[in-house]
Amino acid sequence: MAFPTSVWRPPRACDDYWREYKHCQSFQHLFHSYYTFGSAPSCQQWKLDYYSCQEWEKHHSAQAKDALQASERKRVEEKQQYKPVWELRKKPPHDWYLPLQEERENKR
Amino acid sequence: MEQKNEKDEDYGYQLFPDRHNGTSKRSALGTSLFTFKHKCQVMLRIALDTSPYAKLLLGAMKHSGCAAYLDRHFSCEDCDGIVSGGFDATTSQIVLCQNNIHQQAHMNRVVTHELIHAFDHCRAHVDWFNNFKHLACSEIRAANLSGDCSFGNEISRFKFGIKQHHQECVRERALRSILAVRKVSREDAEKAVDSVFNSCFNDHEPFGRIPHNNADAGHAYREFKNRDRYYSNI
Repeated sequence: MAFPTSVWRPPRACDDYWREYKHCQSFQHLFHSYYTFGSAPSCQQWKLDYYSCQEWEKHHSAQAKDALQASERKRVEEKQQYKPVWELRKKPPHDWYLPLQEERENKR
Repeated sequence: MEQKNEKDEDYGYQLFPDRHNGTSKRSALGTSLFTFKHKCQVMLRIALDTSPYAKLLLGAMKHSGCAAYLDRHFSCEDCDGIVSGGFDATTSQIVLCQNNIHQQAHMNRVVTHELIHAFDHCRAHVDWFNNFKHLACSEIRAANLSGDCSFGNEISRFKFGIKQHHQECVRERALRSILAVRKVSREDAEKAVDSVFNSCFNDHEPFGRIPHNNADAGHAYREFKNRDRYYSNI
């Protein structure tokens, strides 16, 4: 999807990148990463993204924009590398909003 | 009738006697202020209003076309054994076991767990009754993302482990859930869990990450609210 450069903005607010970086670096997150994956988390990319975001906000640098987009696309790709077990729906279940059976019977 | 009972036992309905006997009561009058039911309903409302896990899941479900309404999609009932809750796909209802949930933190966790099942039901063709892999996948996701396997909860169960213990817990709790609601051997349940574990453990929708505490869930909720901006600018 192509947007004119003048209306593009970073996928997240710059403060959000910094918040994610600080959260990633916290002792709690380090512990949870070890508890879940057996290793320390990698936090540097959040910091680099924060600097790219700041660079964009100050100078509207094309390099900063490309770096941010590449970084976020890589995050999305990492989440999509596993084949889903089930088939996704195109619309919600038809009976999600149907009244419960006893309510239907009471109305008869 | 016997055939119906056998079928219900195959799918775990015997754990929820009110729906097993077809006597699910939804009283038009108010219930006593001092009953388990009232306490359950109060705690449920608090969970839905204040838990970042629940708020994110409700938002994601609404976005997927399955807005969840308190009166229609949640039910406080008495349950057998030590089960805390369930998701009934035939009625699209989340069941909370009013006789087994007595603390708000527990309610928050059960609501989150069942909402994950409801979310999976809403966004995918999950064959709850005939496909063990589908059931296993949803149970893996629910154990992984609801806080069931937090370090604190595992310590309270006297399960002491640190390095990658979260995954062991998720695997074990998914197994237990399957064995509780399906007549299947442990070996077959383990095969189902093993076959889908990698894919389902790494499916973090709608959180985008494994939320280990309310702070993580808060970050995830913030990311969820920002999704329009996010996807239109990458």
